[in-house]
Amino acid sequence: MDQISPIHTGHYSHDLLLHEGDDELLTGTLAFVEQGLASGGKVLVHGTPERVAMMRAALDSHPRLDFGLDRDLYTSPSSTLFAYQRMLAESPEPVELWATGTVPLGDDPAGHPAWARYESAVNESLRPYAFHGLCTYDTRTLPSATIAAAKATHPFLSTGGRRTLSPDYQDPADFLANPVAAVPDPPDARPVAMATLGSAMDLSGARHLLKDSAESSSALARHTIDAFVSAVNEVLVNGLEHGGTRVSLTVWAEMSRLTCLVTDTGPGISDPLSGYSYPASTGARGLWMARQLCEDIFISDQPGAGCRVLLTTV
Amino acid sequence: MGSLRGTGIAGDEAVQRGQLQVFSAGDGRVYDRAWQASLLDEALAEGFPAVRWSAEADTAWSVMPRALHADLEWATDELCHTRPVSVLCQYPAELKETTMETVCAMHTDGLRGSLVRTSPIPGGMAIAGEVDRTNAGMLHSALAAQSATTGEGAAFVVELSGLEFLDLAGARALVTGTAARRAAGGAVCLRAAQPPVDRLLRLLRVDRFDGFRVEGA
Repeated sequence: MDQISPIHTGHYSHDLLLHEGDDELLTGTLAFVEQGLASGGKVLVHGTPERVAMMRAALDSHPRLDFGLDRDLYTSPSSTLFAYQRMLAESPEPVELWATGTVPLGDDPAGHPAWARYESAVNESLRPYAFHGLCTYDTRTLPSATIAAAKATHPFLSTGGRRTLSPDYQDPADFLANPVAAVPDPPDARPVAMATLGSAMDLSGARHLLKDSAESSSALARHTIDAFVSAVNEVLVNGLEHGGTRVSLTVWAEMSRLTCLVTDTGPGISDPLSGYSYPASTGARGLWMARQLCEDIFISDQPGAGCRVLLTTV
Repeated sequence: MGSLRGTGIAGDEAVQRGQLQVFSAGDGRVYDRAWQASLLDEALAEGFPAVRWSAEADTAWSVMPRALHADLEWATDELCHTRPVSVLCQYPAELKETTMETVCAMHTDGLRGSLVRTSPIPGGMAIAGEVDRTNAGMLHSALAAQSATTGEGAAFVVELSGLEFLDLAGARALVTGTAARRAAGGAVCLRAAQPPVDRLLRLLRVDRFDGFRVEGA
């Protein structure tokens, strides 16, 4: 028996609207926008130019209603995630934000899991805030794995004006083990560089090794490489501080992608969600910073002992 | 002398030419101020245009109390500013914070670490090289010493154009090293950071801390 649960203002919510056509999409979006405006919050409708034009035509203008294009707002999963978080966490006054649209999954289904992991991480990163998301997925055009991932990453389903708990929802840490999350493994290819660090004195050498390998073996832009080096540096620091005496770095370089694996020999209590939350004033911010300087960071226990961190550029 | 061999510097020949002199800490004279001054004056009188002099703090600390060595360091400052003399004082990188602050305060002409160099510029300090958690403590102390004594009124300038890398600990040192000056209402200008450093400063919102300004070249 479906039960209608209202969205509570002042708290976090992240709903999924599965629709088969524009009518369902419009009805669901309009109800969400209306509730957002009635709450006194800011409302953002995002999408492709065509979708935004359709929504503009259907909605009355309002000073607290904004429209945004995915090509400006949803450039990559990690930048989108942290842009929302920083807006909510760093606003001088409390913000109630209502955002709706379809995440730009892209035409290639191989790119969908990165956005699915984003959808899941939102539940960790934005949970402390008065953020409301209504994510719209078209069941006619999207692959079933993508729909399955959406059901596992949204705590609530919104259908025909009803709002129900999603029976398939998984906590962000559990979702990473779901096959639809498609967490990458280290490449099969031969690494281009390897190093072992015994103390912080080895950090500079590791940074130069990584930078030199990236510059000679990939075609990535300099700012991408520099940011990746910073991210890897912070992960190495974490390993040296918490992970025992030896930290290993392995580097793979493809033309348009870098991958680093950092392993340590510490006690190996790893939190896969470390660095997603906005850091408290005294808290550790190294991983939070690192997550914003590369595309993705996967933290897991090493088989045996220790912690394993895989970092990737786009 | 042993450490010079294999560096490509012909130390033994320089000694034979009378261009290089080496003294051991056991030679009591080397820590005598008047003897130091006369040695330098003799060299200059012989026609050498300038004198370079380097000494190890660790070695001095093995033969004298640290407080006495600190007095000597201040006196050395005087020698550098009255004669064409450059002195490079060698300290271990790992020092207690209070010691590091004193050492930074007495070497206003700049610091050199294995990765980083600081040097005075009008109204502030330039930082070049790489700053990470191995030398962030030194940077904190250098900034604390310099930003406390550099003229009030105008912003204290931290020139970053030569800084190739900054990590989280380094960014924290920029904040904590200038905290006293900013808390007293003074301004600190972080100038000419290269793109990766600039990105990090903005990511960590250092540009929004009270008293900070981030400026281009």
